[in-house]
Amino acid sequence: MMLVVSVVAVSTLIFTQRSLAERERLNFLREFQVELSALHDLQEFRDAALAERCRILSRKPRIHAALEDGALDLLYPSARDELHSIMEVGEAAGREPGATGALFYRFLDAKGRVITPHDPRGVGTLSAEEESQLGLSALPDRPQTGYVVRDRGTPREAVDEVIAMPIISSENGETISAIVLGFHPPALGGPGSDSGFLGGIWLGGRLDMGEFPRAAREDLAGQLTRAIGASDGDRGGFEFRATGMPFLLFFKRLNPGSAYPPAFEVSVRPLAEALSRQRLLIWEFVGAGSLALAGAFFASQFLSRRLSLPVEKLAVDSVENREHWQRAEAALESTSQELQRSARFSADASHQLKTPVTVLRAGLEELLAGEDLGTEAREEVSRLVHQTFRLASVIEDLLLLSRMDAGRLKIQFTRLDLSLLLERLRDDLTTVADPHPLQVESDIPPSLWVTGENRFAELIVQNLLENARKYNRQGGRIRIAARSEGEWAVVTVGNTGPAIPRESQAHIFERFHRGAVGENVPGHGIGLNLARELARLHGGDLRLARSDAEWTEFELRLRLAGEGAPQSP
Amino acid sequence: MKPIAFRGLVLFTAALAICAEPARAQALIEGRVELPKALHTPVMNKRYGIVSYGGVLTPYPPVAVVYLEGAFPPAAAPATARMVQKDLNFSPILLPVQAGTRVEFPNLDDTYHNIFSYSPAKRFDLGRYRSDERPIPSVLFDTAGMVTVRCDIHEHMRAIILVLDTPHFVLSDVDGRYRLEGLPSGRFVLKVWLDSRTTLSRPVDLEAASTLHADFP
Repeated sequence: MMLVVSVVAVSTLIFTQRSLAERERLNFLREFQVELSALHDLQEFRDAALAERCRILSRKPRIHAALEDGALDLLYPSARDELHSIMEVGEAAGREPGATGALFYRFLDAKGRVITPHDPRGVGTLSAEEESQLGLSALPDRPQTGYVVRDRGTPREAVDEVIAMPIISSENGETISAIVLGFHPPALGGPGSDSGFLGGIWLGGRLDMGEFPRAAREDLAGQLTRAIGASDGDRGGFEFRATGMPFLLFFKRLNPGSAYPPAFEVSVRPLAEALSRQRLLIWEFVGAGSLALAGAFFASQFLSRRLSLPVEKLAVDSVENREHWQRAEAALESTSQELQRSARFSADASHQLKTPVTVLRAGLEELLAGEDLGTEAREEVSRLVHQTFRLASVIEDLLLLSRMDAGRLKIQFTRLDLSLLLERLRDDLTTVADPHPLQVESDIPPSLWVTGENRFAELIVQNLLENARKYNRQGGRIRIAARSEGEWAVVTVGNTGPAIPRESQAHIFERFHRGAVGENVPGHGIGLNLARELARLHGGDLRLARSDAEWTEFELRLRLAGEGAPQSP
Repeated sequence: MKPIAFRGLVLFTAALAICAEPARAQALIEGRVELPKALHTPVMNKRYGIVSYGGVLTPYPPVAVVYLEGAFPPAAAPATARMVQKDLNFSPILLPVQAGTRVEFPNLDDTYHNIFSYSPAKRFDLGRYRSDERPIPSVLFDTAGMVTVRCDIHEHMRAIILVLDTPHFVLSDVDGRYRLEGLPSGRFVLKVWLDSRTTLSRPVDLEAASTLHADFP
């Protein structure tokens, strides 16, 4: 175990150290890319502004006249107004790196050669050597980026960035000339930059990199020229040593695909700091690692002793537990069998009960139809017929309950008009021949649509209304109200009459419960239980909202129908 | 070329010939020039104009100026010609004149024009002027050469004034046929100007009261 841990720790250390070095490189590269891409955005912006100027220039008849009518001496004076503002910015900005004003501009003739201005004032002074670097072998049809070495008469050479923009005739789309504008070179790294690396530009074998010591620079230039030649694409990097210190170098082509000679952005980062940091990190790792190892060793000894005890105990317990489980399983099995049996029983029983009831009713009705009955007997037989109907409804409820118990009741969810249903049942209420008529109030909104099954919803509400009637007082009042609340339709059925005692309120929804107050009231007591089960199957609920001396109110919630549910037939 | 301008030019040429030369038996040169096919049409005004392509200016529809080069005395009386600006175009688009002619540039459009030229033979800039401004700007062309006339406001407007050292010149018709009348006898060079870089030439020897037939090529 210890051996495994030590091997793992050592290999982790080795991998971490290697990945550190790699991460340094990647960080460096990423910073490099970010700077380059920021620069790229700036250049794009500048290029777009220049392209606009060239478009304006191309539309000027005087430019065309100067180029086509043998009047090249008038070319620069004609363009001066248009380009004056670019130049002004450049001169005013001074030699700040990254300024976007133009330092100079020159026109190219139809063959790509530079047209030397007669008067260099206002267009920037260039030596003949510098000017010749601006020419191309042919007029470009797209902007081209290039770099020229400026001889400023100082020991340090400088490189300026130039961009050649074609001037395209708006009349026939041919490139009639090009204008080459010179800018300050892009500023990357260097002293004063806080990214910690030095920047420079490589052009034609020469490396211009500010603060780097000269001798080292020339050597590096040679290495870089070879690396550039060897690289297949526009970028690459390598490590090198200068003045006894290690450095990391990256280079990337500044003007890929340009008609001008290639120039490379060079970025150099001293590795000394990174390496020393790395070494420190390794020591920290080693220290932490050994500490962790020692700790782990002691902990493991301690823990293993503690862990073994409960394990042994567990072994003993498990034998007892097995017996427990076996007994529980057996109980579960017997319960499920009972359930199935009872479901079958209720199904069989109600089926068995239905047929005799029908026979009973038929027999009694025939008796009524006969003429031999006296008035008293007739009344009695009528009452018996009435009871058979009630018996039939009890059987229906039992059947329903048995199906719900066995989980076999499936609601066909359709869109049904609750308002219509409530109104119909309310109207039914008032037609019941009642010795003591009740007042029926209703507050039903016009179109309240819910999802559910019509006959079951009816059953629930009928149940509630029956209760409201049964448990009412003489001359009392029933109130049916409905409203929509969020995603629910809420139906309240309230009635006057004695309150349901507090103790009973918790039990009224139980099966076969008969409230203390209901002894005299005919009924069988499965009504509320059934109603609530059905309501819950509909995804809603039924509860007692309130019951006091004045008023008892039940609240039924059903889901409001959204669009798209199928219409109820 | 517009019929009115053409007729005017013919009359002018005739008048010049009569005034310049004493009344004696005149020679005549006529012939046909093979006009180059028009490769490009003007972009703005499709019917006629000076087409600029590849640094060459060509009249559209193609037409040639045939003239006789020789040692001729300069024009005795000052002559005038007109090059109007109408419908954002010049008319005529190709105007041969003898050196010493003053050309007027009346603006017949209801917009400003600013007529100028950078050509070495004559550089001028008439500034912006409207049709109702007087006097009508004009320029005296005293040096032989090709003058490209442009408008600083309308970049597609171009015309060519060929300033020639001879009173004997004529514009061909659209088929290239030409007829130079009232010519003196002697040795001359017959030249044909086709476009800004092409001028054909042929030495001719004219005899009095003769008709020379010369086709190009």
